[in-house]
Amino acid sequence: MIARRDLAVRVAARTDLSPTCFRIALATPEPLAAAPGQFAMVACGEGFDPLLRRAFSIAGVARREGHTLVELMVKEVGRGSALLRRAPLGAELRLLAPLGNGFTLSPGEGGPLALVAGGIGLPPLLFAAERLAAQGVAFDLYLGAATAAELLEAERCRRAAAAAGGELVCATDDGSAGEAGLVTAALERRLETGRRYARVLVCGPNPMLRALARLARERKLDAELSLEEPMGCGVGVCLGCVVELADGRMVPSCKEGPVFPASRLAARWSE
Amino acid sequence: MSVRMATSVGAVPLANPVMAASGTFGYGLDLIDFCPPERLGAVVSKGLSPRPRPGNPMPRIVETAAGMINAIGLQNIGVEAFCRDALPQLRARGAVVVVNVFGARMEEYLEVVARCEREAGVAAYELNVSCPNVSAGGMEFGHDPALLETLTRRCRDATRRPLWVKLSPNAPDLVATARAAVAGGADALTLINTVRAMAIDAAARRPVLANGCGGLSGPAVKPIALRMVWEVHRALPEVPLVGIGGVETGRDAAEFLLAGASAVQVGTATFRDPAAPLRIVAELERFCETQGVADVRDLIGGLQWR
Repeated sequence: MIARRDLAVRVAARTDLSPTCFRIALATPEPLAAAPGQFAMVACGEGFDPLLRRAFSIAGVARREGHTLVELMVKEVGRGSALLRRAPLGAELRLLAPLGNGFTLSPGEGGPLALVAGGIGLPPLLFAAERLAAQGVAFDLYLGAATAAELLEAERCRRAAAAAGGELVCATDDGSAGEAGLVTAALERRLETGRRYARVLVCGPNPMLRALARLARERKLDAELSLEEPMGCGVGVCLGCVVELADGRMVPSCKEGPVFPASRLAARWSE
Repeated sequence: MSVRMATSVGAVPLANPVMAASGTFGYGLDLIDFCPPERLGAVVSKGLSPRPRPGNPMPRIVETAAGMINAIGLQNIGVEAFCRDALPQLRARGAVVVVNVFGARMEEYLEVVARCEREAGVAAYELNVSCPNVSAGGMEFGHDPALLETLTRRCRDATRRPLWVKLSPNAPDLVATARAAVAGGADALTLINTVRAMAIDAAARRPVLANGCGGLSGPAVKPIALRMVWEVHRALPEVPLVGIGGVETGRDAAEFLLAGASAVQVGTATFRDPAAPLRIVAELERFCETQGVADVRDLIGGLQWR
């Protein structure tokens, strides 16, 4: 396991990806490593507003010119994310990372991997995609969003998937790009026509996670879901982000997750 | 100048006046990489019941202005698992351990105490009679002085270890409940637990928390907590107090000591900064240095009233 640290970081770069989402790179001279699926708790402002840090999936970690760059993708939804969007380049923030577990990235039996991302669920899967591409592990990447404008980083996703001989499948709810409808339906159509995957890695909104959990149960897929419960502390002590498991235990998703095998989750996830 | 940081809460000696509060530090071992428990004055366990409790449905927490409301519902691993899995490690590290005791009925408090009596390495018990999130729970004990006195006395009869009672700010008469706990044999009082509160989602026309209401903590409650510590200290100057409520900095800790607390507990601050309790020890020491205070105990009850 990679040791977690609480580091001072500076805003090194920021790029808008859609009307509401942006990419932000946070730099520290300290070394830091993370696995795809792990997350960071970021203190987005000073003082008590907001009081708590915000949890963000890590989209990538790179070492460049004596600095570690931690890449996050953020959707502006509230006070914390708005502060991040407005923080000037060079502003100092605190970042606690890496936290939680990660996806299983080893190649498996019975086909390539499938990576399924919905909306702002992309960051951990883009991180996974670029790492798999570098390792030459084959995968298809399914990227879903409400509209074409909200499909994030499609070109980068296409490059990563192509590097290992895989395919990028886009889907939008309104049909403005890629296949029309839910990304889960796009995956299901390919399963119907005989495409087989060793493992399905998923992150997205809860209805999408539930659809995938159901699909995994019906088709006996090996699926790993990254859950997005709102977190208070990110380190397992506030018990604000608990998830019910199939054995009835309530576990903090920040500590035992955020990635869970679909088969470990309580039945209500796949009903 | 070197500052003497050691203090005590009644018969419990502490290397410094800063403890990790119940429900914010796991079972004492979750944050050892940021905050080794043996370097704090003490660690207070998550509230322990005789058997494991699953807690309340989600959502359980919501952030508010300079605070947060929680309705965790006393989820815990149960006293047996604590004694088996956490306590031996805490003991081996030399941590001062305070066991926070919770029961839905009086007998359950006694069950938890009885189980811990078989273990070495428990410095004190802290009775949680003030959790606002459990309907069948300790709230009644914390609000009814006669009941609280009985509960405290029955726990008192079950142990010779120091017994602390954690008071509710939601009780109709704080000083009356403080007196009742002391009459029942409490050695010290911890105050305050969270302040009953709610958050509303106006668009959905629903409470944000699944439980409806919860307990407010964080900097927002600090002025209330200071006032309550000061009031109880004034009414019962001989009773050791442990101050808790929105302690974020060493200066906050100093304010609680001045109001009459012998030590403080750090809770919500740990959610923001996992090293907060240890940082606060260092900040309090620096505060004493700059103020020319050679012994941190000189701050206790040192408020100058005009």
